[in-house]
Amino acid sequence: MRTRATALRAGGLLILAVIGWLLPYQLDSYSIHVVDVMIVFALLAIGLGLAMGIAGQINLAQVAFFGVAAYATAILTTKAGYGFWTSAILALAAAAAFGLVVGLPALRIQSHYLGIVTLGLALAFTNWATNATITGGAEGISGIAGPILPGIDLSSEYLYYYLELIVFAIALAFGLFVVHTPLGRRMRAMRDDALAAGAIGAEVPALRMTAFLLASVYGGLAGVLYAGLIRYVAPETFSIANMFFLLAMVIIGGRQSLVGCVVGAAGLTLVRELLADYPTYAQIAYGTVVVLTVVFAPTGLAGIPARLRSTASRLGWTRQPAAAGTAALGPFEPYTAAQPVDSDTRRTEPILAIDNIDMSFRGLQALRGVQLTVAPGEIRGIVGPNGSGKTTLFNVISGLYKPTGGTVHVSGRNLTGASSHRLARVGIARTFQNLRLFGQLTVRDNILVALDDTRTYQAWRYLLWPFGIWRHDRNLRTAADEILTRYGLAAFGDALPGALPYGIQRRAEIARAMARRPRLLLLDEPAAGLNGEETRQLSEIVRSIRATGVTVIVIEHNMSLVMSLCERITVLAGGTVIAEGTPAEVAQAPQVIEAYLGDSDLSHDVPAPVPTEIAS
Amino acid sequence: MQIFFQTLIGGVSLGAVYALVALGFSLVYRTMGLVNFSHGNVVMIGAYMASTFYLTAKLPFALATVIAMAVTGLIGVIIERVLRPLENKDFDLMLIGTIGFGIVLEALATLVWGATGRAVPSPVPAAPLDLFGIKVRTYDLVVLAIAAAATALLMLFLQRTKRGAAMQAVAMDHEAATAVGIHVGRSNAIAFVLGAALAALAGSLVGPLLYVSPTMGGTLGIKGFAGAILGGFGSIPGAIAGGIAIGVLDSFAAGHFQGYSELVTFLVFTILIVIRPTGIFGERTVNRA
Amino acid sequence: MTTTAATTADLTTQGQALTVTGLTVQYGGVRAVDGIDFTVEAGQAVGVIGSNGAGKTSTLKALMGLIPRKLTSLQLGDKDLSRVKARDMVRHGIGYVPEGRHVFAGLPVEKNLLLGAYAKPWNAHTRTAVDEVYELFPVLGEMRHRLAGALSGGQQQMLAIGRALMAQPSVLLLDEPSMGLSPKLVGEIARVLQRLSAQGLTMLLVEQNAKLTFDVTSTCLVMENGKVAMTGTSTELSHDSRVRQIYLGL
Repeated sequence: MRTRATALRAGGLLILAVIGWLLPYQLDSYSIHVVDVMIVFALLAIGLGLAMGIAGQINLAQVAFFGVAAYATAILTTKAGYGFWTSAILALAAAAAFGLVVGLPALRIQSHYLGIVTLGLALAFTNWATNATITGGAEGISGIAGPILPGIDLSSEYLYYYLELIVFAIALAFGLFVVHTPLGRRMRAMRDDALAAGAIGAEVPALRMTAFLLASVYGGLAGVLYAGLIRYVAPETFSIANMFFLLAMVIIGGRQSLVGCVVGAAGLTLVRELLADYPTYAQIAYGTVVVLTVVFAPTGLAGIPARLRSTASRLGWTRQPAAAGTAALGPFEPYTAAQPVDSDTRRTEPILAIDNIDMSFRGLQALRGVQLTVAPGEIRGIVGPNGSGKTTLFNVISGLYKPTGGTVHVSGRNLTGASSHRLARVGIARTFQNLRLFGQLTVRDNILVALDDTRTYQAWRYLLWPFGIWRHDRNLRTAADEILTRYGLAAFGDALPGALPYGIQRRAEIARAMARRPRLLLLDEPAAGLNGEETRQLSEIVRSIRATGVTVIVIEHNMSLVMSLCERITVLAGGTVIAEGTPAEVAQAPQVIEAYLGDSDLSHDVPAPVPTEIAS
Repeated sequence: MQIFFQTLIGGVSLGAVYALVALGFSLVYRTMGLVNFSHGNVVMIGAYMASTFYLTAKLPFALATVIAMAVTGLIGVIIERVLRPLENKDFDLMLIGTIGFGIVLEALATLVWGATGRAVPSPVPAAPLDLFGIKVRTYDLVVLAIAAAATALLMLFLQRTKRGAAMQAVAMDHEAATAVGIHVGRSNAIAFVLGAALAALAGSLVGPLLYVSPTMGGTLGIKGFAGAILGGFGSIPGAIAGGIAIGVLDSFAAGHFQGYSELVTFLVFTILIVIRPTGIFGERTVNRA
Repeated sequence: MTTTAATTADLTTQGQALTVTGLTVQYGGVRAVDGIDFTVEAGQAVGVIGSNGAGKTSTLKALMGLIPRKLTSLQLGDKDLSRVKARDMVRHGIGYVPEGRHVFAGLPVEKNLLLGAYAKPWNAHTRTAVDEVYELFPVLGEMRHRLAGALSGGQQQMLAIGRALMAQPSVLLLDEPSMGLSPKLVGEIARVLQRLSAQGLTMLLVEQNAKLTFDVTSTCLVMENGKVAMTGTSTELSHDSRVRQIYLGL
């Protein structure tokens, strides 16, 4: 099956390469010019797709990245007297630097705020290009020196095509490589859920900057090739109208697929060329198609095959794929206790020490002087009425919230207010009450994102040592398959989480957290929505995880589960710890009975109060 | 000093127009939680409509404006209706959808009115007033007065009427709004119509100040949106303050940096928004995570 | 604060029985609610308890029509409500207090209450109803001009209940009014609900807090995995060993 698919794919690629190579022989000189321009737009679209579709960053400055490189090439060749190739490299660097500057706001703002800021910066660039002397003002710069290769006349648009084709093929292959290996997976995870991505160790700020870097380098490549092709630059090429034209390509083609972006770019350039005499009608056409696409086919052209397949299987035309429909959750294979993940369980130092934590949101005090100390290897339960601050406490421990007061120590290190990805690297992993799996990633990819521990700055290897990345990715895939099998999820590796039953999604989230090989695992209501048998399996899984030396803290409402599973239980109510002790102690503490039951007749024959840690 | 005040006055009157544009952005956001990127293009359509009725049909300026508001209101209904399936679902996609509408509107304007654009004579031909040596165009005062009146009316509508309260409730919690019996779709449609009508009002007023052309919507829209965000997105007084701030910024940037005014305006805007994403009057968190 | 003895009879109208059969809610491949039936008799308070994820909230939302659902019948008295849209439920006498309160945070307290009566004309009668809510929850009267978002959790819960009462519903659906409240406030909410119930208001109370539910209601359903696992009087269930073990942790 797999080899056949690979062979098909290789065959397809070969055919495409042959078509690409022979294409100029079929075209007149005008058509080859159109194709040359088309490739420039395709590169731009790939860059925009990487930023918007893959990393989820609304980037409306792509056309400015394009402009910076084109102008830099023009200025360096005409004014500074550099050759084309030197200028090209400097121009790429300029575009990348500009991209990083434009990306900086993304560290603070997202969504439509980022949209308006990047659009404003694009306008600022056009404004500069129209007015500056060095850019030739509205006239632009002509007479740009083209690239020179010994023995090849690149002033011929036919031969220039081959230069572009090679650059394009490498750029597309590199883009696809990024998307399907750890870096791109992490960016896609960030796009689907930035919070959960941070909680499994993805450095969200660095990834956002990487997205802008990639977008600007692709924009820069396009700009350099454009300057070499047209030999003339003027401000209107980099206008907002062209930015929206570019956006239309990416949306219509399918922003989450680089190939879709290329198809969109090729299609729209062609349509614009065909309607060259009626530019206004072309504009109406592609504007309308953008609207229709977002309403009826949000995944664009690239998403149509998948939609057709799912329609076909719904109508019963094709065989159901084995995954979602029929397969059942497999049994959990317990960890062998002989291989503890963490060796320092014998240390007496608490793995987690929370001291006097306060957390308030605009005057609403969610946590008040909370104390919590958890010994290594413990299973700790946290119970309390809904809204008593349990999840807020988890969010503080895992770095999603910065506490307004108090300290958090992990194995003796003060990590108060550390970012969630830093805490994830220290060995804290968690699940979420309302399931935060990455919706557009398969279950396997969800696990793969968590497994990968490389830092974002190591992404330079993509340029210098891609083979190492590839090998690393292959190792990750082996590890992911092991985890999928261990958690009985092997049948669902290729399914999207949203299509799976609730119990399987819960299991997948625990598997994803354990893929981090954590020292401290936080489970937020892992039994919510599970049936009796699933709850029994959950209890078995948690015990096995602990047997490997992992400390577990579990928030849970299912009292019988908490009572049987946990060595110690902490009770929260109204944002404070009202009791702590063994299950038996806690169950009889009057203040607990009061919190849960009010002044109940059930709370009469209670023994003397147990020692508790009532804060402040 | 005199130059300073002259620049300030110029900025405030241009800012009043930005404020009206910002008001439309903020109203739609406040009442339905949507960023309408086509708003600037609706302003442009409004400017063409009003100038056509005023110049070609020879209607009084005020009547021409009202008719323009009605027509663009209809455009608002169409945009809202088409994008309704995305409401309360995918914010970013809906935003891109409105960009699509903006592209179409700009092209339609080019088809109907041509690409060259037109100048609109001021409907208030009186000579400029002289206040302590500072020249103030009477038309600028008219624009300021209308912007102030529109703001007051809008505030009254939102604070004093049942419909106004219901529309705000929809944006705050559409499910709870449904439970108390509010028709969420209809409320959103009204929000869009009001936003579009405000756009036409701004367009009609800006006609005599700037040159009316199919591409004017882009810049006006971006600056109006920037004003809305600077003031605190969704806040009505914020839209006014932010719009005027952008106008003044623009005016001083043009005074000091001539051709580079846009560059300076957007750089300053970017820095301000990165420092304080919630704007002057904003209370909402930016990251919707 | 519940010491005011004033009657609030005007807020509670003559109840009607609410009958539901075959209610099913499906999310993707998951059945959150699996064909459940129940009846709330006129003037009766019925509780629904169960763990998080058992389908309690989905049941209420589906009744309101806020999420896609399937059902065989939904009747209030002899009116068929199965095809009534969510936004019109209030006009047929169904009041709804959403989970997590969901007040209109950016609007003042009084505007929130007035919006509760959105489906009726605003007149002198509305004014009386607002005053009655203030009598029931004096703290809301003190804060009438404050933004709802600035209230404490308990006050917001009172506001959400008050807002629903403004429409003078025949049946009040309450989704977890104890959520996020301190034990003392839970007690206060319980007393208010008991009082409303004593005045004859028909109620369906969905709760995770079993004790509160047993105190307020006469009959209870226990939900598990989208099905009704047990039904009984609240007194019976509060002494049932299985219920005590699962929901009270004893």
